[in-house]
Amino acid sequence: MIELKQVTKRYGEVAAVDGLSFTAPAGQIIGLLGQNGAGKTTTLNILTGYLPPTSGQVLVDGLDMLTNARECKRRIGYLPERPPLYDEMTVRSYLRFVCELKEVAHRAIGDHVAQIMTTCGLTEVAGRLIGHLSKGYRQRVGVAQALCGDPPVLVLDEPTVGLDPRQVVEIRSLIRELGKTHTVIFSSHMLPEIQQLCQRVIILHQGKLVQQADMAALTGAEGTHLRAIIALGQKALLPALQSLPCVQRVRVLHARREETEVLLECDPAASPDAETQLFSLLCGLNAPLRLLTPERSTLEEVFLRITANDSE
Amino acid sequence: MRAIWKRELQAYFFTPVGYVFMGVFLLLSSAMFYTTIMQNRSSDLPTFIGLMSYLWMLLCPVLTMRLLAEERSRRTDQLLLTSPVSLPAVVLGKYLAAVTLMLVTVLLTGLFVLIVAIYGAVYPAELLVSYLGFVLQGCAFIALDLFLSGCAGNQVTAAVMAFGANLLLWMLDLLENAVSIAFVKEIISFLSLYTRSEPFLMGQLSFAGVGYFLSFAAAFIALTIHMLDSRRYRGA
Repeated sequence: MIELKQVTKRYGEVAAVDGLSFTAPAGQIIGLLGQNGAGKTTTLNILTGYLPPTSGQVLVDGLDMLTNARECKRRIGYLPERPPLYDEMTVRSYLRFVCELKEVAHRAIGDHVAQIMTTCGLTEVAGRLIGHLSKGYRQRVGVAQALCGDPPVLVLDEPTVGLDPRQVVEIRSLIRELGKTHTVIFSSHMLPEIQQLCQRVIILHQGKLVQQADMAALTGAEGTHLRAIIALGQKALLPALQSLPCVQRVRVLHARREETEVLLECDPAASPDAETQLFSLLCGLNAPLRLLTPERSTLEEVFLRITANDSE
Repeated sequence: MRAIWKRELQAYFFTPVGYVFMGVFLLLSSAMFYTTIMQNRSSDLPTFIGLMSYLWMLLCPVLTMRLLAEERSRRTDQLLLTSPVSLPAVVLGKYLAAVTLMLVTVLLTGLFVLIVAIYGAVYPAELLVSYLGFVLQGCAFIALDLFLSGCAGNQVTAAVMAFGANLLLWMLDLLENAVSIAFVKEIISFLSLYTRSEPFLMGQLSFAGVGYFLSFAAAFIALTIHMLDSRRYRGA
């Protein structure tokens, strides 16, 4: 488990991170979200022990990063924004070197490296020079490097930036897989990515924490919306919809003579029931339902709302 | 520390740097050997070693320029500093890798000694003392140049700064002659790595000299560690 307490990092006059506190419980995938320059990289550099904070405290399993650096660092694998690779080494010899750095027992190194290369899909390039690898492979070597020494916590700084869409999907599924056995903290400015992968999200804005919540709570709290296309004119439809007890508000998205597209904002408490109520209502009106999809508010809306509020 | 030492030593041979250092060193020392020993039909190895010691100025920057500057420019220091390895161990590992390569190269110059031994007389004690001074001087230069590699943001800057510093140390001898104030003269001769190695070349085992070279190296290693650590706090 990782805990940050009132961490501040100043570069001269500028505070890159300002009084940041959060807890990353064990066994979760935690997303650190923020625009460019929000302080994500600095935060990760501090919690991995690369930079000491100007003030505040980083605790890893209750151990202080400043006074107990060695023990703390042993528990964290870090993939920085730019993977720390030595171009003149082969993938295998590089990973062996990292294992030695992480104090893996000498006899175990061979097996450990082979296993990591299988996990990250690097076996076929094991003997190639890192400098000759494509960006996607380099990123995978970066992830592999973080896995050396089997640390319980993985910290990944924007692991999918600059990759092509197929590689992005690969890295994401790798992260999801790793999340089953590790605590993963990763940063991103891409909302869908965080939404797909994380159980918990921490939103930073201008070096400060603006929101920290479970993913489900954050997107679920906005209420449940239903989008429906119904084969009935607006005039007859709207009063009927408003009469439903579970519907709080009706927004017409698109209206034609014989067809209406609406967004229903439903009471979250009644939400499993809302579809049933709507269905029996429409049966009574003899109005066919052409489309019905639940619309949960996306993290994007939440994020934009939070950061917009903050800058006002 | 061992892991770092090993990697750096390997890196010398993954890249051309190690070959360049050894090749140029051996080529130039062969030329020196030919002019001082072979042509003069001399067996005066200490003079030859004294001449070889000027190669440190030229070649130590080649050994050290990559060591710290490159970690910084490629951000691989992020790996080292987030691993359970202390900063002194990182610096020391790198220093020892450079020293190791230097020692291997110096060992190869044993070939010259062998040639002289076949055709003339070699005085082992005198020779060993000369070599000791020679190697210690190399260690001192490597420590200084390693520090400058830590200061620099890239390899080229590191090399140029190291060349400059080495030449300045060498020019101290010339400056000493130009200055007439006794006090300044003393400071200058205190700093000169070349004046310090003179007793060794005359076959005198100077403990003050050994102490001087070792503390010179230790001081610059400590400075390097301190500088890198304070850079983390500044966050530059």
